[in-house]
Amino acid sequence: MAIRGSAILGALALAGVSLFGLAAKAEDVTISVWSLDRDIQPAPNLISDFNKLNTGIKVEYRQIQFDDVVSEAMRAYSTGQAPDIIAVDNPEHALFSSRGAFLDLTDMIAKSTVVKTSNYFPGPLASTMWDGKNYGLPKATNTIALYYNKDMFKAKGLDPDKPPQTWDELVDAARKLTDPAANVYGLAFSAKANEEGTFQFLPWAQMAGGGYEHINSDGAVKALDIWKTIMTEKLASPDTLTRGQWDSTGTFNSGNAAMAISGPWELDRMVSEAKFDWGVALLPVPELGAERSSAMGDFNWAIFSNTQHPAEAFKVLEYFASQDDRMFKDFGQLPARSDIAIPETGVPLKDEALKVFVEQLKFAKPRGPHPEWPKISKAIQDAIQAALTGQMTSKDALDQAAEKIKAVLG
Amino acid sequence: MKRFLSSMIDGRGFDIGLVSLPLAFLLTLSGLPLLYNIVMSFQEVDMFSLGSFWRPFVGLKNYRDLFAQPETWPILANTATFVAASIAGQFLVGFGLALFFWTSFPGASWLRGLFLVSWVMPGLVVGAIWNWILSGDFGVLNFILRETGLIDGNIFWRSDPGFSLWAVIIANIWLGTSFNMILLSVGLSAIPRDLYEASELDGANVWQRFWTITLPMMRSSIGAIMALGLIFTLQQFDLFAAITSGGPNNASNVTQYWAWDLSFRQYDFAKGATISVIMIAFVMVASVVYVRSTRHEVRG
Repeated sequence: MAIRGSAILGALALAGVSLFGLAAKAEDVTISVWSLDRDIQPAPNLISDFNKLNTGIKVEYRQIQFDDVVSEAMRAYSTGQAPDIIAVDNPEHALFSSRGAFLDLTDMIAKSTVVKTSNYFPGPLASTMWDGKNYGLPKATNTIALYYNKDMFKAKGLDPDKPPQTWDELVDAARKLTDPAANVYGLAFSAKANEEGTFQFLPWAQMAGGGYEHINSDGAVKALDIWKTIMTEKLASPDTLTRGQWDSTGTFNSGNAAMAISGPWELDRMVSEAKFDWGVALLPVPELGAERSSAMGDFNWAIFSNTQHPAEAFKVLEYFASQDDRMFKDFGQLPARSDIAIPETGVPLKDEALKVFVEQLKFAKPRGPHPEWPKISKAIQDAIQAALTGQMTSKDALDQAAEKIKAVLG
Repeated sequence: MKRFLSSMIDGRGFDIGLVSLPLAFLLTLSGLPLLYNIVMSFQEVDMFSLGSFWRPFVGLKNYRDLFAQPETWPILANTATFVAASIAGQFLVGFGLALFFWTSFPGASWLRGLFLVSWVMPGLVVGAIWNWILSGDFGVLNFILRETGLIDGNIFWRSDPGFSLWAVIIANIWLGTSFNMILLSVGLSAIPRDLYEASELDGANVWQRFWTITLPMMRSSIGAIMALGLIFTLQQFDLFAAITSGGPNNASNVTQYWAWDLSFRQYDFAKGATISVIMIAFVMVASVVYVRSTRHEVRG
């Protein structure tokens, strides 16, 4: 009895100690997350929900500014103070993963029951990859398509149910819709000398068989020639060269442009501002049956390679991924997942548009991925601007860009 | 020890203490970064070596690469145009206004104070407002020019390579004029009135008084405002970011914006530092002019 008693006591004590020990150990794990999401955006909300689950992992959040993401993260990483998890803009993902700053998640994803790579759209997923390995998970995604003003189509004798399918049809429609007397341009888009210019042009080059590795291919030259036609015939405002997508689409909403190329981030503003019937169509292709493409935006999650708690950090990412179905409903962002249907919003114009955007997402391609993407992008921006200001032919401008890109690619 | 203490309280020690405090401040917060910047321009720097000081030295490679780029000389020329035109515009309009408000009329000092509002406004706000004014399709400036019959078609101030640099210059002149005016007003009010009375008795007309009294007496003020103007225009970044982003096709790009673009857009920190070093050289010249012009202050 005495022996049994003490054995039970001992067992209890052991259990107590180990329980206590486990709890203490779990209590200690703090995972820090950096992203640029504000209070109404996903990251801080998902984190506070996660902390309520009391999983023994405590997540701390820090909001950083868009312009500081890369420099701040790099400084933190090189001084050993990096967070465990960060959200980076997708073209900048490779800069980190190629240098070993991000943790290789391939094995963890393979074992995970929550995260399946086959559930993601190929474009966003590709942006997290480097050298065939997974270095992150897409956080959300977006792409661009063609908005058009159905009322203006009717007024100019165009069929509002047949938006332009090909580049030639787009230019034709723009010619018919342009009305200088009424202050209406046929098309609004952005050829600004920053990442937005590349974001808008690259899909055109890709649809015609080009790409950043061969930016001076015949197809890409043809694409830039089409842009040049649009600019020299004043089918789009000359300010397209210095205006971002948000401001350009603003002119569409106010009825000063009949078509606009932009993304789903415009929808809410358009629903409230545009006093006309509008629709969204897939980006026109060089000719019927040609390969489709589109731009791909938004951020990816990644874990820094010098994290002390890789397993716990991955658990947090798994939680984020498990909440992807809330992405649109609660935060208005498109999840990068092909297995999640976008719920109806009850606004018919918006629901129709979202269907097109989800379809377009299937063809979205990442920029890069390449560690020196900003330099590649800059070469493309310079070419666009040199050609559109008439200082170079499309061919010469893209040849020059190809040479600069070749130097970067080595 | 006692002597040391007494010198600290009232003597050389006190003076040295007073001087060393700001000097230490200047050295740590301006001197060291300047040196660091110069060192960086001779190194190979990327995102991953940002945190360490000992990076591979590459000699003058950054400078050679920079001047091999086709856009370098046009951007340097743009900077020269921007600085010269901005300073000239700010000074002429500012001096004109200062002279105007000098002729004390009711409400003169009030109005002069109101002009400072433009100087108080943050550059990005000013840039955003000028962005609208200069907009090609809907801009107020084009509307006024069209209605007054000065132009037939819209000028695309921001997007026409022939105009974009001038668009920023116009905005910068507006921004800097009031500062010029206030500083020149101070200079004007320091000129003793009896000089003018005497010359009037001698029969000097307005022009003669301006050329022989006002301008010579304003020498140091003008020198100072020119030097400060050079520094302020070389610092001007917000307007470029807000109005043209250096575009189109670098037509309105200047060194200060380019340095930022290279460092923080393309992560080419070494080249960004290299451009900054070239700019430091220019600002040094301006500082020498400034120091010399304020050293020989002759008043009264």
